[in-house]
Amino acid sequence: MTEIKLLPAGEQYIDQMMALEHECFGRDAWTEESMRFEMLADHTRYFVLLEEETVRGYAGLSKLPSTNQADVQTIAVAPNLRGRGFGRKLLEKLLTEANHLGATEIFLEVRADNPVAQNLYASLGFEHIDTRKRYYQPDDVDAWIMRARLSEGSLREPIVLGIESSCDETGIGIVRGNTLLANVISSSMDQHARFGGVVPEIAARAHLEALQPTLIQALHDAKLSMQDIDAIAVTNGPGLAGALMVGVGAAKALSVASGKPIYAVNHLVGHVGVDVLEGELELPTIALLVSGGHTSLLLVKDLLDDVTLLGETIDDAAGEAFDKVARLLGLSYPGGPAIDKAASGGDPKAIRFPRGLTLPKDMEKHRYDFSFSGLKTAVARWVEVAENNGDDFSVADVAASFREAVADVLTAKAVAACNEHGIKRLLLGGGVVANARLRELAAERCVANGIELRIPELNLCTDNGAMIAALGAQLVMAGRAPSSLDFGVDSTLSVETVHTK
Amino acid sequence: MSLILAIDTSFGTSVALVENGQVRAEHNVPDTMKHAELIGVAIADVLAQAFVQPAQLMAVVAGRGPAPFTGLRVGIAAATMFAAGVGVKLYGAVSLDAIALAALRTHRASKEEPLLVTADARRKEVYWALYAGLDEHGVPIRIDGPGVMKPDELEDYLVNRNVHPTTTSAEISAANLALLVEAQLRAGTAGEDVSALYLRAADAVEPKAKIGKAVSG
Repeated sequence: MTEIKLLPAGEQYIDQMMALEHECFGRDAWTEESMRFEMLADHTRYFVLLEEETVRGYAGLSKLPSTNQADVQTIAVAPNLRGRGFGRKLLEKLLTEANHLGATEIFLEVRADNPVAQNLYASLGFEHIDTRKRYYQPDDVDAWIMRARLSEGSLREPIVLGIESSCDETGIGIVRGNTLLANVISSSMDQHARFGGVVPEIAARAHLEALQPTLIQALHDAKLSMQDIDAIAVTNGPGLAGALMVGVGAAKALSVASGKPIYAVNHLVGHVGVDVLEGELELPTIALLVSGGHTSLLLVKDLLDDVTLLGETIDDAAGEAFDKVARLLGLSYPGGPAIDKAASGGDPKAIRFPRGLTLPKDMEKHRYDFSFSGLKTAVARWVEVAENNGDDFSVADVAASFREAVADVLTAKAVAACNEHGIKRLLLGGGVVANARLRELAAERCVANGIELRIPELNLCTDNGAMIAALGAQLVMAGRAPSSLDFGVDSTLSVETVHTK
Repeated sequence: MSLILAIDTSFGTSVALVENGQVRAEHNVPDTMKHAELIGVAIADVLAQAFVQPAQLMAVVAGRGPAPFTGLRVGIAAATMFAAGVGVKLYGAVSLDAIALAALRTHRASKEEPLLVTADARRKEVYWALYAGLDEHGVPIRIDGPGVMKPDELEDYLVNRNVHPTTTSAEISAANLALLVEAQLRAGTAGEDVSALYLRAADAVEPKAKIGKAVSG
């Protein structure tokens, strides 16, 4: 069975929710208009059960700010998934949510002729307190009103707002404990396209312009205001100094404005910590972080206290290599997707491009380090020779062979790190994880070596504020002291500094 | 409720709290680096000095420069997010105008004998603007600029225009920036644009479409 996820409901699910609504409630089904209205209202919280991208269930509650009572508005589970605890999972989520919203009681109505549902509710603390005669028409069935009492504040998890500005994405995310509430990303990628790579000054200018709208959108998505935020987290390195300073200046001002503590956190460790939003982050793990700015292999024994850098690129980041090779092949920016596309149909074994730092002499000194500069040059030379000879070469073969060389060396070193450290877990992060071949090869090699592979959702793999918020929330929940207001940015911050005090 | 928090990082880190023409608190560090380190403490300090809670503010003002890029952004980012965080009005003002405001309290200027305000733009250039005095609301009348030039180019430019100004290159203070916006509010000319005045394009060179040929050439 594939994994089932519980996520905040958004408008993109409404068609599927309505199909399920009709299937589950027949004549009592809501109209699409009322479903949308309720789902998007400020005083409601709706969640969907997702299997891959298919909605298998949903539930919603309403809690008006003026009362301490919440109502379960609806709960539905696909008929073929019933009896497997999904209804309970949804309802537990609503109870947690009601509690967070400050409700002390939660009510629901259930058909008097539905003992299965009544028993589920009773097992979660709901009591039958009243009956509405002949409430369900035209079936002429009574409604039971059931109520559960919620203990005040017992489930309180910190709400943390995270700001990320280390490269070309302005990200603001909001989490509650390990739950994702918002993840808004504004990218300046298009502005860098004509330069073939990220231009630091352009990235920094774009951050400044994107900050305020990104903040407003994140609060809107999370249905929160600044008063609801318990702490601010911000990336203070590693990354582009000028870009980092914009986020840090912004975060400090928000911290003083809201009177909430600030946590300066490590960008790379954020890429690892983001996995708490996707279920349990199991430790220890090896983490391979690959993006336009980083190519790092980490050993994470404890997210907050024990992160070791095993190796990193000694020249270009993997993403940069994709950009540069795409450019010399006349492909578009960013290079990753362009090369992925060009490589389809190409033969990955057509050209044997070098695998950087894999020769025995290199392995002594650079066992877990990477180098992509030589590979890029090898591709350039190969193309140059082919062109000079007037050969009619296949761009697909070059792209596929180059991509294979990158994916091969990345996964080979990551798997070796897992095996040599006796850690049968590998976590991928960073924008280059979007590369289909890298994911495929990682999956193949992990299976062959008995390694459990974790790949967070793509919008949590690329640079984002949610990962910074998630790491901040871990620090808050562990009772760590916030950063002092005078911390600076560090463009080469070591992964061992998870949190700058 | 007419407290204004002003933030300017076009030179050092300067933050001030002004109310009805009175400077309630100031925090100035004339270090042209370390803006990101200093900004949080500076804001917290002026609020604490004046016993003011963020919610009591009427507006926040950002100094838009012109200024060399990196530091300038820190102050604008902070002002923008502070205003958004508290939910108060945000204004932007040209930092050179605030320097002019301070100078024009003691210097008279006119169209014929204007005041030239300059500030270091690094790379052997200066930011500049010309002012013809204060209007009836006390707002400096900018008649040219802001611009960026090499000092000798600026001199030629002014000579060619037959302008012989008095010059000031005093440091910007956020207190003057707040007083400037108070005057602009009286005049109805306070602006909501907080975009940074870089006056220079980003340093970036477009590469050739293909680099293949260059490798062994």
